[in-house]
Amino acid sequence: MDILEEITEILAEILDIENHNISPETYLIRELGAESIDLLELAVAINSGFNIDVNDDEIFLRKLRDYITEAEQQNKNILQYLVKNLPFLSHKRLENIIADLEGGPTLKVKDLISYIEWQNHGT
Amino acid sequence: MDNMHRRVVITSIGVISSLGFTIEEIIGNLKNEKTSFERSFFDNDVVISPINGFDVKDFAGHFKDRRYLNRGAQFCVASAIEAVKKAGIDKKLLAEAGLFLGTGPNLDIGGEFPDVKGGEIDRRDLMALWMLKFLPNTAASVIAKLAGIHGENQTLTTACSASLQAVGEAFRKIRDGYIDLAFAGGGDSRLSKSSILAYKKAQALCDGTGKPERAIRPFDRSRNGFVPGEGGAFFLLEELQHAEKRGAVIYGEICGYGASIDGYSMTAPEPDGIWAERAVNAALREAELAPSDIDVISSHGTGTLLNDSMEAALIDRVYGKRSPFIIALKSWIGHIAAACGAVELAICLACMKYNYLPKIKNLDKPCHTGLNFVREGRRCSTDNILLENFGFGGQNSALIVRKY
Repeated sequence: MDILEEITEILAEILDIENHNISPETYLIRELGAESIDLLELAVAINSGFNIDVNDDEIFLRKLRDYITEAEQQNKNILQYLVKNLPFLSHKRLENIIADLEGGPTLKVKDLISYIEWQNHGT
Repeated sequence: MDNMHRRVVITSIGVISSLGFTIEEIIGNLKNEKTSFERSFFDNDVVISPINGFDVKDFAGHFKDRRYLNRGAQFCVASAIEAVKKAGIDKKLLAEAGLFLGTGPNLDIGGEFPDVKGGEIDRRDLMALWMLKFLPNTAASVIAKLAGIHGENQTLTTACSASLQAVGEAFRKIRDGYIDLAFAGGGDSRLSKSSILAYKKAQALCDGTGKPERAIRPFDRSRNGFVPGEGGAFFLLEELQHAEKRGAVIYGEICGYGASIDGYSMTAPEPDGIWAERAVNAALREAELAPSDIDVISSHGTGTLLNDSMEAALIDRVYGKRSPFIIALKSWIGHIAAACGAVELAICLACMKYNYLPKIKNLDKPCHTGLNFVREGRRCSTDNILLENFGFGGQNSALIVRKY
């Protein structure tokens, strides 16, 4: 089973939804309505399913808006600052995230996959 | 309204039992003697009364908090949602409603911790909030969230007396004017390996080596223990005028409740039932009825040596030579632990509506003379039924329902 299939199974189980509602582009919070306790369970399930040690703040992009504020306060380039702090996300993805901030929580299924791949490749 | 004159009626029934999921189905299966007794698949010496194929999703749909419900809590949620649906009340009334539940412990320890050694329970796949499966009020939390109930709430955990007490406590809250309506009941399941182990070690289960349907024999001289079951039932309790104003169907009136604790033994009842009698007398007093007004006693009747001899002595003492009809519904559905009172109340309401009394199954040689045990199923119109439930720890409760 590839990472997408496995993460889809995990999300379907935790959120009690059908697999076909989940794709790499699906927003976890905006679309699937994941709440904080769901993310708690998701972290445990990813730890166990992929045998990695998830950092909740990193994988769920919890500090994203803090990083942006910090960059602004320090007059730093926002994109460069995010690349440094969220190294598992691509430049292109981070650009999209920055453009998408006003729409609400930006976390997508593909971000979880990026995090897991990044961890698997022995950071 | 003067609180002295507030009356409380039952206006919705949600029931999930091995005899059926509606009171019509239950009456049909009582008359056709269709029970679910079978041998446990993991222990050939144990007979159980399961609800095979039960899935909480069939009743409550998809909801993610399902992951935090042990099987007993699933019966709680499923039957509560049934009662909510059948009540047909709007969001505003649901928000005002109270919620009173009787729940049991999650005895499915092995399900959660299959390889626990030396107290080391940490596993990578253990849920973040695994403790919710063990907290007694998780069912209440889920029901309230799904149904939009926001009124007064209590979760009672008084062993096998719990759900009858939940109904009794809700009845008093409404009668005394604190609330106008409340959902009350309970759900439980004790068929898992660790539950069976618990009751087996306590020597409470009957010898299951014979025919499964003959295993539980309440009030019979050869009785030797109970059969564990599972299920749940919830009711909408409502102040009478409130119910009449909205044209609700009324299944019966609750008119008296009593409870007490033995203070005697951790498991065995006080042998003469002197403290259990206090609960029965309190219910009679509250209902302003004399013992002779009771037509039927729905006994606790577990089929254990100690319960049935205590209960027979108690009935003899309270009613003297005018014994009401005595039924023992556990001979049909097994013992549903914390939920037995709620499910037995649902069956009693079915019997009251359809003027029928089921026999006590497997009662060949009564352990006590002079008592009016129902030996054959019969047509019978009943005005007042008194339900009794007693639990581990010396928990005693009695509730009286009247035909409306």
